[in-house]
Amino acid sequence: MYRRIQQPLHLLASRISRHCPRQRIRPFTSRSRRALDDDSSSAAAWKIAIVGSGPSGCYTGKYLLKSDAMANSQIDVLDRLPTPYGLVRNGVAPDHPEVKSVHHDFDSLFMKDGNEDNGQNLLNFYGNVTVGTDISLEELREIYDVVVLAYGCESVRPYDFIQNSKLEGILSAREFVSWYNGHVDYEWVGPLVEKALKRGSGQQQVVVIGHGNVALDCARILAKTREELDPTDIAARSLNIIDQQNRREISVIGRRGHVQAAFTIKEARELTRLDDANFVVRKDELDMGRTEASKQEINAARPRKRMEKLLTDAAAATSAMKNNTDDDDSQKKAAEVHLRFLLNPTSFETKDGSSLSHVTCERTRLVGDAGSQSAEGTGEMETIEAQLALVSIGYKGVAIPGTEEWYDDKRGILKNTHGLIEGSKEDLGGLYVSGWLKRGPSGIIGTNITDAKDTVASILHALKSSSPVDPKEGWKSIDETLKEKGINPVNWDGYRRIDAEERSPSRKRSELQPREKICSREEQLKAAFSS
Amino acid sequence: MFSNRLRQTASRIAPRLHQKSSSSPSAAAIAKRWHGGPHVAADAPTITVTFLQPDETKKEVAARIGESFLQVAHRNDIDLEGACEGVCACSTCHLIFPMDVYDALEYPEEDEEDMLDMAFGLTESSRLGCQVLISEEMDGIMVEMPKATRNFYVDGHVPQPH
Repeated sequence: MYRRIQQPLHLLASRISRHCPRQRIRPFTSRSRRALDDDSSSAAAWKIAIVGSGPSGCYTGKYLLKSDAMANSQIDVLDRLPTPYGLVRNGVAPDHPEVKSVHHDFDSLFMKDGNEDNGQNLLNFYGNVTVGTDISLEELREIYDVVVLAYGCESVRPYDFIQNSKLEGILSAREFVSWYNGHVDYEWVGPLVEKALKRGSGQQQVVVIGHGNVALDCARILAKTREELDPTDIAARSLNIIDQQNRREISVIGRRGHVQAAFTIKEARELTRLDDANFVVRKDELDMGRTEASKQEINAARPRKRMEKLLTDAAAATSAMKNNTDDDDSQKKAAEVHLRFLLNPTSFETKDGSSLSHVTCERTRLVGDAGSQSAEGTGEMETIEAQLALVSIGYKGVAIPGTEEWYDDKRGILKNTHGLIEGSKEDLGGLYVSGWLKRGPSGIIGTNITDAKDTVASILHALKSSSPVDPKEGWKSIDETLKEKGINPVNWDGYRRIDAEERSPSRKRSELQPREKICSREEQLKAAFSS
Repeated sequence: MFSNRLRQTASRIAPRLHQKSSSSPSAAAIAKRWHGGPHVAADAPTITVTFLQPDETKKEVAARIGESFLQVAHRNDIDLEGACEGVCACSTCHLIFPMDVYDALEYPEEDEEDMLDMAFGLTESSRLGCQVLISEEMDGIMVEMPKATRNFYVDGHVPQPH
């Protein structure tokens, strides 16, 4: 049984045959039964591009596909990397495989090129295509009725307000995370981490600046044993460097108190459950953070109450542990993670003139009302020795060429109303935004569900009152355009070849390791284009 | 009313309202894909539960005894996400239960509570759909899917300073 097409056939047919080698009108199956009931056979053939294949791009694609109005549409997802899923692949910590499981759901959204006739409308993947460089945003908007920008945060909030931020041994957490996750652009991080850790003779000291989940991820990965990391998909290039040769002390510091910290309880609790690392929380710092306003904040929200309890218990455990181990060195574990509060890093220091030796911090106190307390310097200084510093004070979106006029530099987002970028030129496809680029870098993967639905609602609302534009003279499909430019996109089958190679037993450390990532773009492309 | 009946029998049925163990999933468990809950035969006895969807519409479905609420939702084309595939590692299958049903359930494990802390629109009777299994006594209940308000991310939102 096949879905009948009841729309201007001359228009569709000419587009499909001339411009679109992919089959856009797919046969009816049970999955789209609801669509048929709603007489979606009359749905228009929209062409939609999603720039970025991370969680926001995938969820936007998912909820577009679910809409009856999209039953006959072509939805293409572009990514500058040969591999999809953005931070699911390159951001989520390797020891959180259960969080990465969402990629199974995303897998099911994409077109298997060899299997087109199963009838579902699916997303098409165009990896290895950089919008703004390989193809301009304007060109994209000529090809598509709708372009959704979901390329997230390609940069970090600047941290040059801390003096000497260019010293060797200082990295952004984003660089460190991308490196241990095998991101193809971050191989250069390895030698820097290795050099820094080697400088710590006897004891390696690391300072992580920031109180978000990324900061805790960095600390936890550095505190885990080889045995703990071995069954994860952490890149071999990183495991060999992170593997502890010496004792390691990791201090995670933030300007405000424990009640204001952005990390969530799952990540904090994990620090209490490490195989060979102690979790150190200071009672005095928790006490300093319990201002009247903080107490109101604790009482106002259940997550705060539970976090308060977890950290109070951890501080009590720290005191008990200290009493037990003060005289007994053999009880010491390989690593210690110190979660420190009310410390503002003011400068990085060096002894040899080029590389980091310690971080100077100023003790702060909380001022202001509940919900808007800020950290004020007290003048009391503390130095923490460190050979490696990872700055984790937040990611930041950037403007790709063609989006400058909507870019809000302060927030690192593109200005929008429910995902719609207003004032984009009329004669081109509509411009929308989704995910971190729309709302700023916060929230968990699931936050993108609400966010994507919001953008999809805006798109559907706008499309309701318009119809696909008749292709202009000389209109070319995305495939033709890329071909003309000499750009070879990695399609879904190409990605699956990369995926298969990464999962092949010959590459993996053990059966338990999900995959050993291919960490160079050239090798990924080689795998993608092999037959 | 079913709620009265439930309340009367709450103490009796509490031990039988089982839930999946939510200890941290091993890499091996993850590798062996979950489908949001235990495998329950298609001809298993069913009860009726209703999902109150975010758009206020109600969907009454047949739920197999022993399945998780997440599985029931997926089998019935209800838009309840299960990003972590039912291993208690995200909060996307958050459901709000009637208070008396919630009270009759075993307490959630610590890991589930940790995930609920991240859930949008958390209530006192919130649970994760992947952690609560269908039992006979739940016949006729209605669970609510949290509403995502459209003005959640309005432009002009000021990110909190760190």
